[in-house]
Amino acid sequence: MFGYVRPFRPEMKCRDFDLYRATYCGLCRCLRQKYGLIAPMFLNFDFTFLALLLWEPEENFRPCRGRCHANPLVKHDMCPTSPALEEAAAESVVLAWWKLRDSIQDDGFWGGLPARGLSILLRRAYKKASRDCPDFDRQVRESLRELNRLEQENCPSLDRTADSFARLLQAAAPSDGERGRVLAQLLYHLGRWIYLADARDDILEDRETGRYNPVTARFGPEGDDESLKRTMDHSLELAGAAFQLGSFGCRTPVLENILYLGLPLVQRAVFDGSWSKIKKQKIWRHDQ
Amino acid sequence: MRDPYSVLGVSQNASDEEVKKAYRELARKYHPDNYQNNPLADLAEEKMKEINEAYDAITKQRAGGGRQQTSSYGGGYAGSYQQQSYSSAGSNPTYARVRSLINGGDLAGAERLLMEVPQKNGEWYFLSGSIAYRKGWLDEAMQNYALAVQMEPNNMEYRQALAMMQQGGAGYRPYGYTGAAAGPDCCTTMLCLNCLCGGCGGGHW
Repeated sequence: MFGYVRPFRPEMKCRDFDLYRATYCGLCRCLRQKYGLIAPMFLNFDFTFLALLLWEPEENFRPCRGRCHANPLVKHDMCPTSPALEEAAAESVVLAWWKLRDSIQDDGFWGGLPARGLSILLRRAYKKASRDCPDFDRQVRESLRELNRLEQENCPSLDRTADSFARLLQAAAPSDGERGRVLAQLLYHLGRWIYLADARDDILEDRETGRYNPVTARFGPEGDDESLKRTMDHSLELAGAAFQLGSFGCRTPVLENILYLGLPLVQRAVFDGSWSKIKKQKIWRHDQ
Repeated sequence: MRDPYSVLGVSQNASDEEVKKAYRELARKYHPDNYQNNPLADLAEEKMKEINEAYDAITKQRAGGGRQQTSSYGGGYAGSYQQQSYSSAGSNPTYARVRSLINGGDLAGAERLLMEVPQKNGEWYFLSGSIAYRKGWLDEAMQNYALAVQMEPNNMEYRQALAMMQQGGAGYRPYGYTGAAAGPDCCTTMLCLNCLCGGCGGGHW
């Protein structure tokens, strides 16, 4: 949904890059097969990470060939459909839907028109996906409602608003058993980090439009990069500590690359302002 | 018990040196310092115990029964996990109960109890910070620890907690990732533009 969760390619082994790409392509295909032609538009890196995370650790990487959705003339290696891919696919459709509904509410009649159009197109896919992951659907709805309320109250607590989003992402994995506890903690802090990164990235835009921004609500109009960085680093630290207690089989190196290299780099780009360029280039022009 | 070699992730033919190295790396990973006040500390402790037992089993096996070999520095590690839980040092019985609730993982109960305390002192803020930390509310944890230190500057427990927050966590990195995030300022912009995955979709993938 946001695209902050990416690997750092130069430090990746070829086979790990192949695994990452095949997972990304597999997720795209899974979206198309289960939820129709519109759904792959909402394909993103964050949910590729989720699919990698949810994969059965014992299962090895065995790609198959398949046609690319964006360019049917090309064939790619893709991961065959699996429970982890299906779960990530359903959840990405659900989250995309609720984000659209959210922006329809926020952006007024004219501003909300594009989102309205997209949400009409996505409606059927959402209906199906919400049946496939009802618990996640409920949590997303609840969390976004809570976020809306906190925004209207102009909530000064960084943690409280981030908590709503963190719990949203946490709901993306089953939280029972030892593995569940590890994933829940990891996803909580990843969600917290994503929310804060997004808030930091939006400071200027929110100032212009006069919208609520959790970072400026907490630290004042200029923000406080030092403190924000520290608390974001700490969340990454805790996500990493949780990760080390789980087992992720052959996907461990890719996931470690994302957690220990990709995320810190994205964070740096968000703070130095280069992220806005990267974000646009990638999500909207190349990856669909 | 699982095969001690697979616990350490080495083959049966590994040399003593390799076994030791694998053990050290895992011990560094599950070290109690990395899981202070962490809701997953019990899992880390279990893992630590597992690798300690595996290492001891291997060294005993290899010593061949005859020669007694001093075992790992594992015993020390396993021990230090115990001290992690809060000692109920304070005089206030409510605080003692709050501490035991936090240790038991009942954060909501601990929070409720703490709210009933009329007078807020250093310990109140410290405990409030600990609850926030366990919940993942790191910013509020930091603020509460800071207030605790401000009210009782000589309390080591509070100062340690605050120092940990100021460092931004404990800081284990797997082998190969050490220092990467803080590394040289290698023109982030370029790195990100070209190298964070997705820079080249479509045909370039």
